[in-house]
Amino acid sequence: MKHVFFLDGQEIPFIPGQNVLEAAIAAGKDQQIPYFCFHPALGSLGACRQCAVKMYSHDSKHPPRITMACLLPASDGLQLVTLEDDVHTEHREIIELLMTNHPLDCPVCDEGGQCHLQDMTVQTGHSVRHYSGPKRTYRNQDLGPLVYQEMNRCITCYRCVRFYQDAAQGEDFGVFGSRNRVSFGRLEDGPLESPFSGNLVEVCPTGVFTDKVFRHDYVRVWDLQQGPSVCPHCAVGCNTTPGARLGTLRRIRNRIRPEINGHFLCDRGRYAFPYATANSRPLQPRLQGEPSRQDAVLRQLASRLEEGRSGFLGSPREDLHSNLGLFALADCLHAPFAAVTSSWAEALAQQCLALPQAPSLQEVAAADRIVVIGDLDSIAPMAGFAVRQALRQGARLTVLASSRTELAQKGDYRPLRPSALRDQVARLADDPCLQGGRFPVLLATAETLGPSGLYALRKTLEKLPANARAGAFVNRPNLFGAAYFAADGHTERLQQALRQRKINHLLCLGADPLGEDWGAGTWRTLAPGLDGLTLLDMVDSETARSAEALIPVAAFPERAGLFVNYEGRIQAFSPVYRREAQVLHSAVHGSGFPEAAGGLKHPLGPPPPLFWLGRLAEMLHLHEAWQKRLDFYLHFLCPEQPDPEGPGVLLPDTIRARFEIAALPATRAVTPEQWELDIFRWYGGETLADTADELHSLAPARGLRVHPDVQAVAATLHGPCGDLQLPVIACAEMVQGVIAIDQEGFAELGLYPGDPVEVSWEQSR
Amino acid sequence: MSSPTSIVDLHDESLLARLQDLVAASPVPEAAISEVLQVLQKARGYIDGEALRLAASLTGLSPVKVEELCTFYSLVLREPVGTHVLRICDSIACHMAGAQDILTQARQHSGVDLGEVSRSGKLTVIPHVCIGLCDRAPALMVDDQALGPVDTQTLTQLLAQLEADIWKPS
Ligand code: SF4
Ligand code: SF4
Ligand code: FES
Ligand code: FES
Repeated sequence: MKHVFFLDGQEIPFIPGQNVLEAAIAAGKDQQIPYFCFHPALGSLGACRQCAVKMYSHDSKHPPRITMACLLPASDGLQLVTLEDDVHTEHREIIELLMTNHPLDCPVCDEGGQCHLQDMTVQTGHSVRHYSGPKRTYRNQDLGPLVYQEMNRCITCYRCVRFYQDAAQGEDFGVFGSRNRVSFGRLEDGPLESPFSGNLVEVCPTGVFTDKVFRHDYVRVWDLQQGPSVCPHCAVGCNTTPGARLGTLRRIRNRIRPEINGHFLCDRGRYAFPYATANSRPLQPRLQGEPSRQDAVLRQLASRLEEGRSGFLGSPREDLHSNLGLFALADCLHAPFAAVTSSWAEALAQQCLALPQAPSLQEVAAADRIVVIGDLDSIAPMAGFAVRQALRQGARLTVLASSRTELAQKGDYRPLRPSALRDQVARLADDPCLQGGRFPVLLATAETLGPSGLYALRKTLEKLPANARAGAFVNRPNLFGAAYFAADGHTERLQQALRQRKINHLLCLGADPLGEDWGAGTWRTLAPGLDGLTLLDMVDSETARSAEALIPVAAFPERAGLFVNYEGRIQAFSPVYRREAQVLHSAVHGSGFPEAAGGLKHPLGPPPPLFWLGRLAEMLHLHEAWQKRLDFYLHFLCPEQPDPEGPGVLLPDTIRARFEIAALPATRAVTPEQWELDIFRWYGGETLADTADELHSLAPARGLRVHPDVQAVAATLHGPCGDLQLPVIACAEMVQGVIAIDQEGFAELGLYPGDPVEVSWEQSR
Repeated sequence: MSSPTSIVDLHDESLLARLQDLVAASPVPEAAISEVLQVLQKARGYIDGEALRLAASLTGLSPVKVEELCTFYSLVLREPVGTHVLRICDSIACHMAGAQDILTQARQHSGVDLGEVSRSGKLTVIPHVCIGLCDRAPALMVDDQALGPVDTQTLTQLLAQLEADIWKPS
């Protein structure tokens, strides 16, 4: 049955449970009801008193009365009016009160042009302030490099604190004072600690909280080019709206996608974008480290490929088209191809792919029994956010990890060494922590759990009720897409070919086999057999600088593509701006002189990987065969091209089934006396994100994280591929016998999470 | 309550024991926060950063939550004050009955801004929300004692007594 009420005589449909304002906004009628404190994801509060409507009763006994639309449950046949003088007066007077202390600084306010307060003030017709007393003035806080505060603009809608404390469950932000001296911020100056702090910028309907990174290279929003994109910084694939101007990317905003990120983004997703504007970003091809021309580099590469001694390496960091384009080229040339840099990572990818349909984040938020394995917030922060939403609904959370992570503090924490995780996970089906629930969900950080742990997870899932779901997360946007065609032993075969000198050249796409990627230690030992390495990438690295040829590629918002997220959801993104637009009159981007007058040459935007691969195929006279293979693979994985504005397309279950029989690598046994390794990550860390200065300035120090009982200032770890010497960082509540290191550390040692490690402690410096 | 600004050692065993008893007697630890703050303020004169963190750790609240309470309740002091605290109501009834004049007079007498400690160290004047003596507006509180109505004369007398350390609560 269709439910409707009437607003100024017009039918407004509603879903039972909605309030009047919510239904009116959904019906696009928010022009009639101004509001502030209501937010679709934060609900109603009734704090601002702005959303007045007049309600007529059905009988003649009760006179009509003015009431708050956000607090009035929608009900059938309700008669509401806003087009009457007293309602108008109410709207105008309330906003005048809210504006009493508001500075008249719209021209210099970053919110201008996207300001809810500005819109509502104009909409209600308030233009003259009758109060002539002095305005209240606050001292602003320095909230770190990401969020800028200008407290005088506050209208006390409480959206910020409801987001930060209730939704994101952060503890370092609050509301202070009373009466007309209420302020919102931290106990003292300092960077906001929540991985979700950047959402303050979007939830605040005024210019109190604005984007501090955008501020460095600011333009009015009406001058921004915007479009639908997908976050490239982890496997969740949150939907984003990048904004660019004059050929450079300026900011990232959330794009509402109810199934995944809803109204929010994590700080990595919002603030990692400067990888696309970084001075270090390669924009011109390089040969032997020197800037070169496109055709020269392509000719060099084509002659390399013609020699027939090249191997191909794809990457979960790159999108589907690029990986399949590379795979198709390898196929045409009968050359070895791998999608990931180590056999361990290959097994990991296969076990992730073999998991049955993972829950969407919207479903995670509705779960009532949740088990989290590892530090989820540091890999896929928005997955951690979804767990927090479930907790608010009373879900029971159990966290299995080697340290008391922030999520672990919100649920039952089971301290475990990484090597013990697999057995714990195998026994979870009978564990009390999952009993008695309606909808159990298990969420794992893939690397901490490892391939055999993921296998155990799948087996446990088979024993749980049929609606139980599991998801595994990595901080790469396209593990599923990259690894799909990587059959068993690909990586091993590629390394073997190099070992046996069958190949002497590697063509890498967004992979860094000699840097921080998994298995880099092994690649480094093989490097002497490598005569040349060609890299297609959008960030600079040691490997990029020493490569024989470096081919720069378009950043993700500069091109179209597909990512397959942790659910197997194929999502499309569109090109938002063209890097090649001339940049003029910007202090940041060069001089305002035209080139002929001695001005700087403006870099042309690099094309996407698929363009380069297509050109190569042409030069090798393989274009037709290459295109055919590429089309075939694409059609196989993704018969239906998803719409960038839509929810994407899920990989069918049948397509995952082939990974169920994937082989598992042997795990190394660890005795309780041995030290073992776990991975340490933080919420802002990821290859692209690491080149974003502001975000990266918050990164925790590098070191060996251990239980505080360890009496040492530094230590050297010994691995099969090398040693790693780092200072010791004592971490309260870290499990004894575990050392947590970053991915680079693993790469240097040639080890994996859960492996035992030899340690030499150093007592003093 | 006079408000000495002497800082009692927070590691004082009997103080700690008292605070822990308060928390233990409370149905949930968080609910003990107001009493914990009261006891700490009595012992230390005001809630400094260290006391705030102690209150937070005793009750399991975050320091931000404790600060939210401290700044909401105007009886909780977050800065050092003089020997006597004069809280002058400036809410509606008192405002209409001339609270602004009372405030101005008291501030001028103290010689410093509202909330600051007078040079003699004897006095701190603070504007305050309604203290429930609207029928006796304009009203004020001297330490723990509420008084009203107050006029220029009675205030002059009161201030002199406070300065001479001869004021006694009735
Ligand atoms: S800071 Fe912004 S979000 Fe927070 S209460 Fe003020 S206006 Fe609302
Ligand atoms: S959770 Fe992942 S996909 Fe979503 S915004 Fe953060 S980094 Fe991007
Ligand atoms: S939106 Fe209804 S009272 Fe604020
Ligand atoms: S208004 Fe002053 S005591 Fe109530």
